[in-house]
This record gives sequence, C-alpha cells and structure tokens, in this order.
Amino acid sequence: MMRMNRNIYRSLVILSFLGVVIIALFGISQVLAYLGSGADRSSMLHVALNKEKVYVPKVIWKDTINPGRPIEEQTILDIEKDYLNAWYVRNVAYQNNELKAIDDYYTASAMQNIESTIAANVSNNLSIHSTTVAHNISLDFYSADGQLAVITDSGVKAFQHIYQQNELLFQTEDITNYQVLLLLEDGYWRIRHLVKKENDEMITPQISNGFAKVVDNKIYVKDKEYQLKGINYYPQKTPWDMFGENFDIEVIGQDFDIIHDAGLNTIRVFVPYEAFGKAKVDPEKLEKLKLLLDTALSKEIMVVVTLFDFYGDYSVLDWTLTHRHAEQIISVFKDHKAILAWDVKNEPNLDFESRGKENVTGWLKEMIAQIKQYDPNHLITIGWSDMKSASILQNEVDLVSFHYYLDIDMFSNSFEELQKQIDKPMVLQEFGLSSNKGFWSPFGPSETTQAEYHEQFQTLIKQYNVHFLSWTLYDFENVPSSVVGRLPWRKHKQKHFGFINASGEKKKAFKHISN
Amino acid sequence: MRIGKIHIILISISIFCCIGFTMIFNMPNSPTKVRLKTTQKTYEAGDNIIIDFERDTTLAAQLFLKSSYGSTMITSSTGEFVVPDYFSRKKGRLDYYLVQEGECLYQGVIDIEAKSKTKIQLETYVGPPSIVAGGEDYTMHVVVPSDIYDNPIADSTKIWLKHQFLGLEKEYEEVTKDLISWKNIFSYSKKGKLLISSQIAEIHSKEFTVEIYPSLAQNFKIYSFREHEYADGNQVTTFTSDVIKDSFGNIVSDGTMVNFVIKNSEGSLLTTQGTTVNGIVTAKLLHPDHADSWEISAFIDGIAESEILEITFDGVLDDFEVSFDMYQREIVVGPLTSFMGQIIPDGAIVKLEIYTNNELIETKVKTSFEGRVKFVLEEGFYPDGEYDFRIKSMGIAKWFKNRVLQ
Repeated sequence: MMRMNRNIYRSLVILSFLGVVIIALFGISQVLAYLGSGADRSSMLHVALNKEKVYVPKVIWKDTINPGRPIEEQTILDIEKDYLNAWYVRNVAYQNNELKAIDDYYTASAMQNIESTIAANVSNNLSIHSTTVAHNISLDFYSADGQLAVITDSGVKAFQHIYQQNELLFQTEDITNYQVLLLLEDGYWRIRHLVKKENDEMITPQISNGFAKVVDNKIYVKDKEYQLKGINYYPQKTPWDMFGENFDIEVIGQDFDIIHDAGLNTIRVFVPYEAFGKAKVDPEKLEKLKLLLDTALSKEIMVVVTLFDFYGDYSVLDWTLTHRHAEQIISVFKDHKAILAWDVKNEPNLDFESRGKENVTGWLKEMIAQIKQYDPNHLITIGWSDMKSASILQNEVDLVSFHYYLDIDMFSNSFEELQKQIDKPMVLQEFGLSSNKGFWSPFGPSETTQAEYHEQFQTLIKQYNVHFLSWTLYDFENVPSSVVGRLPWRKHKQKHFGFINASGEKKKAFKHISN
Repeated sequence: MRIGKIHIILISISIFCCIGFTMIFNMPNSPTKVRLKTTQKTYEAGDNIIIDFERDTTLAAQLFLKSSYGSTMITSSTGEFVVPDYFSRKKGRLDYYLVQEGECLYQGVIDIEAKSKTKIQLETYVGPPSIVAGGEDYTMHVVVPSDIYDNPIADSTKIWLKHQFLGLEKEYEEVTKDLISWKNIFSYSKKGKLLISSQIAEIHSKEFTVEIYPSLAQNFKIYSFREHEYADGNQVTTFTSDVIKDSFGNIVSDGTMVNFVIKNSEGSLLTTQGTTVNGIVTAKLLHPDHADSWEISAFIDGIAESEILEITFDGVLDDFEVSFDMYQREIVVGPLTSFMGQIIPDGAIVKLEIYTNNELIETKVKTSFEGRVKFVLEEGFYPDGEYDFRIKSMGIAKWFKNRVLQ
C-alpha cells in the first residue's frame, strides 16, 4: 500500500514537473513570438497608406485651366490622391475621435480646427460617421513653383450619421461646395485652408431610353406589357459560385433552354460582391456576366441581376467602395437588352439587427441613386426577405420584391394587406418548398408535397396576377456553409428546393413551374 | 315649429362639424411648430452667434452644426443655442439642423465671413527663389492673407504687392480672389537681389528675397601665361579668360564651370577645368616634356565657347649621354640638361625599351634625379646575350644596338 502511494506520489511529481516545463516553454515561446511581431519597418515610410484604395468617391476634374501655370498630369493625380486621403483621415478621425494621420494631410494650423471639434465631440460622447460620394474639382490656381494650389470642389455629396454613446441620434445628407488651399509639404499636398460654401453644382438626372419602365403598376419592356414568370437560377454544379472557375456557358445555355421551354421568361442571378473584386471589379468576371446575359438574350430570357450578394458591411466609410463596384458593373450593361432589373441586395432586412436598420436603408437609398445615375434604363428593386419589409423605400424602387417561405395558407391575407400599402408592381421574388424528407428531416415535405405546394401557389399567383420568381431550378449536391451555416440539416434543406433533382430528372413539381 | 326643428337639426349638425374640425386641428400629433427667432444670416468670425427658436422647450432638442472642418451636436437648456467658438470663428457656411428624437425640425444656414477689422497675417509664398536676368524668367509672389482666426480674408480685398530692385521700387494694387492674391515678377536685365513684400491696409508683410542670377554667358576669349616656352615638363601654363558676361553685361555667377580642351600636335585631347571668379576663369596645365603645339578652346558646356588659342613649346635638349656598364649590368642616362645647360629638375621621364631578336621584351620607366637615371638589368631577368636598347627622354629617342650582356 505504502509502495503504491509512493508510486502515485512519484508519478504526480514527475507529471507536475513536466507540466511546469511545458508551461514555461510555451510561455517563453509566446514571449519570443510577441517580440518578433513588432510593427513592420516599412510602416515608417508611409507606404502602407497608399497600398489599397479605401476611399473612392466619384471624382471628376471639371477643368484645370488656371491663371497660375499649366498643371502636369502627375500633379493632378497627386493632388487628387492626397485630397481624398485628407477626407478619409478626417472621416476616420470624427468616427473614432482620434487624430491619426491628420497631420499628414492638414497643415499644423488647419489641424487645430479638427482637434478642437474632436475634443468637443469626445466630451459629448459623439461619434460622427461620414462619407462623401461625389467630388467635382476645378483648379482655381496652381503656383509657378508647383508648391501651392487652390481648388474648388463643388457638389460634394456628403452623408453623416451622428451617434451619441453608440446610439444613432440623427442622419443628414447634404451637397456643398468647398474651396481648398493646398500646400505641398514633405511630399504631401496638405490642406491649409478649407472654406465651406453654397453648392452651385447642378445635378442633372440621367434620362431613360424607355427600354424598361413601370406605368400604372404594370411593367413594360420595349413598350410591351411584361408579365414576369421566372425562376431563381444557379447552375446545378456551381450553386452560389456561378462565376467561378467552373463557369460553363454551354451548361447555362442548356439550362436556359429548359427554363424557356417550361414557359418561363425571366431568371434571377446573383453577383457576389467579394468574388467580383469589390471596388476593383475583375474584368474576367464581367466577361462571364456578359456571356450569361448575351446567352439569355439569344434564348429570349430576361434577367434580374441581384448585386452585392454576401455583402454585409454597410458602414458609412465603406460606401464609396460599393459605389465603385456598382459603377463598374452597371455602366457596362446599361444598354443590355437582357436585363430587366437591378436587384440592389438580396434580403437586406436580415442585416437590420446586426448592422442597424438606418445604416442598411441609408446605404440602399444612396445605392439606388447611384445605380440610376449609371443606368436609367433598367428597373430597380430590392429583394426583401418578407412582406413586412416590402414597403421600405417603396418610393425609391421601381418594383417591390419580397420573398415568401411562410405557410402558404396565410399568403392571401398577407398579400392583400400588402397590396393596400403599395402602388408599385409587386414581384414574389422567391418562394418554394424543399422536398427534404429524409434522414435529417424525417417528417419533412416529400416531392409530392412540393408539387402540391407549387400547384397551389401557381393558382394564387394567377388569382392575384403577381409577378413571380420561384426558388430554384435545381437540387444541389453541395451548399456552401456561407449560405445557411454549417448545420447539416439546414444544408440538407437548402439542397432540395429544386424542380429538377440532383441526377437531372424532373421532379413532380416541375409540372407546376409556371402557369 | 317644423322650421324650428329643421333649424335645430341644421344648427346641431354645424356645431358638431365645428367641434369635429376643431378636434382635428387640435390633434396632439400634429408636427411641433418651430419658428426661427434669429434673423441675422451673416456673421463675422468671432461674433457671438446665437441661434434661437420659438418652440416647445419642454421637449429636449439638439442642434447639429456642420462647418468647414467638421460637425458637432450641441444642446441647450434654455432654447437658445450658442454656436461654440471653434465653429463661430471659422469662415464659411454653417449648416444647422434642429433635431428632436432623430427628426429634423428645422434646417437653416448662416454664413460666417472673415473678420474684417482685424490684424491680418500676410502668409507669403515666393517661388522659384532664384531666376535669371533678362526679363523672360519670373518668380511668383503669392500672398494668402488671413484674419486673426486664421480664416482667408474676403475676396476682393485690396492688397499692394511690392518689390524693389536696384533702386527701382514698384507696387501693384491687386485684389484677393480664390483665397489668395498673386503676381508674377519678371526679372530685370541686371543681376541682383529682388526684394518682395506686400501690404493690406496698414499691415505690412515680412521681406522676401529672390536672387536674380545672370543670364546665359556669351562667347569669350582666353589667354595663356607661362614662365617660358620650353617643353620642360616641369613648369605650369595658366589659362585665363576675359571677363565672361551674359548678353546684358552681367558678369556670370562665380563658380561657373569652364572646361578647357587642348588638342596637341599628335591629335590627342588634354583637358583641364576651372571655375570663374568675378567672371574670370583660371585653369592650369603642366608643360609638355617634348616640343609640341597646342590648340586650346574653352567651353561653358552647352552655353558658350571661347575663340581658339594656339601656343607652341620648344624642346629643351637635342641630345643626352648614355653610358653602359655591361658587366655591372647598368645603363646610366644623363646628365640631362635643360635650356640653359642647367641640370633638368628632378622628375623628367626616361623610358628604356629593351629588345632581343628585334622583339620588345620590356619597357622600363624612371624619373630623373639630379639629372640622371640609372637602369639595372638584373641577372635573373635578363640572361646573358645580345640586346638592343632604345632610350627616350624629353622628346629625343636614341638606339643602342647589339649590346652584349655578360
């Protein structure tokens, strides 16, 4: 017994010794790792700030004729870069109430003005999130020695969200002129004087060529009334990754034949924000989107293009990046005959809670204005995930789109209620039922139930004469975790919404794909 | 009676209607009435700016202010909003929004002008800091006047831009525009210091200086000076120029680099250079060690050149002695004598070329010491046998054939 105890005691001593050694080694390695992880030396050179563009409002140089001296192309670029950086660091400063990098872009005396305002905002617990989305610069003066410039920046469209103790107090939008005196110091064009003035920039709305329009609650395409009968589309092999490496226009063309032959005339596709290159859109992806649209046109199918898929920031400082993303896609396709509508964002109301309703709706509202500026010819909608949200921004959109996955028997009531609030064409943009009966859902709907559901829905659609896009053409074999999360039963459900199963056979519901 | 009943009914209906309308008018959720009491729209920087509303002060409201450099939100307990000094001191348009529970009740603007009766600071930028004479080049004088709160002063303010140059004083009346006032000052035909200043009302700026440098040099003449004309390889020839000037008669700047290129009788180019002092350049070159003639020209590269100068050098000796001591394996050259018969100064170069079987096997070079040079042909290097020697010095060459080393 005694011996046994001694052995236990010994082993405990040895184990605890080992434990102490392990902890000590781990601790030392952590300390060494920490010491090795200092700031990158290159940060001393200020080059990091210029690496990636983080602030890209629309900048137009209206004219550079000035009495001082002709300006060089390179100096125009330098002034623009530093002037925008000045706006960016100031926006960040007012948001975080820190003066980081302000001294790089404002002279010492100009900086005092920002310092004193920030000091006041700190004492009042204010944080001001702001951005500017448009700058129209004209050069008033450029000095002979190239060290001083005066510019007038007109029509500066600015948005401000004012928070007090993290609670949104107020938001504003305004358009102003600024006259700015810049000095070249230490290689930076720094703001010496900044004077806010009355705006004199006329903003002329773009005029539509009348390709797609809404008159009296009806959609017209090329002056013919258009009844939207459609489906949300992803190729079977590449759901949620349509424009990736496995993009195959042959497959898409065949699917379009199936869709067209089934009596449908519209599809809805998704343009993922990050995969398309964020603020710098990948031309290869644009080419793929163009191929898709050209194919759709040849197969007589119109397309609702949903932008900003998987985008979720909405913060005011991020707006300009999304504007450039939209500009690069939309301006290319503004005359494309296959596009029916731009759907700004899929189910943005799901981000209300995490990102703040005001942030999301503010972003949507400005994005609609941006889209209209680059493409007045196509319609605009927002894909709300429920009927409750459908009336938000209804004056801004051309079509009111909503999704419906609730009890089919409740549809009529809710829809009639919604009809009273809205006087725009309404699109039932997503609906469907997953025939996911199986291991993960033993009591789930079968293919027959799914077919009955679609049959019933088509009757309702006919009854209310509502535009529709069902979810979706195919059952999928793989659903990325980013769509519905990692839980297997949720993924399983998402795999079985199709009218055609994974092996390419038409399911019972296919009969009721259209009316 | 019947009419009375109808009247009563009509009256009661009209009364009912009136009450109804009044109730509608008094609906509690009608928008809060706000009226701006402040009538002043334009202020001067530094004024005490109060924005006052006639409103229901029991409800908390805030005033959002947006100025040139930023925005803030202010509160008020009395209903009067006092614009904080960091905004009231800044020139520009001030937007204000009366905010109650996230809603904007009133939106307005006031304009703040720069303070008019104030000490003005005349921030001045002059550049480029140096220009060349002649009236084509210019410097720009930019003044950024600001008030005591560092606001650029109002457009169309009168300003005097002045400069002084060699007894000439000028002043121009200009007005401020686009935050600044400016003037180009073209150079005069003389070099010198251009002094610049400015003035607004009684306020004078500091003095600024722009250097006017002479313009491009004109072609010039060069001269040479030497102690004697002998090619002794020892004395130094000095080249100088006349006073180099630009087309306006200004002496070129001190330190202007002048390159001298000398072509000798073989066609080789020798160079030397010097920089000007008071317009005169001085450069030096060692005399050749053999009779030669030089063609000298001088250049300020890309700008001006001199006329060509020719000089010749006479040889200092016709012959020299050489003694061979083939047993000791020694060859002694000298004494080398110069033009007066004097021993040539130390350092004259003597070359010995050693041939065997008509083939050059080595060249030895030595300099003279006390008029002599001694070459030693070491045993290990030069085996016994027949050699030819050629000795060159001060432009004279002599052959010594079939000498036998023993």
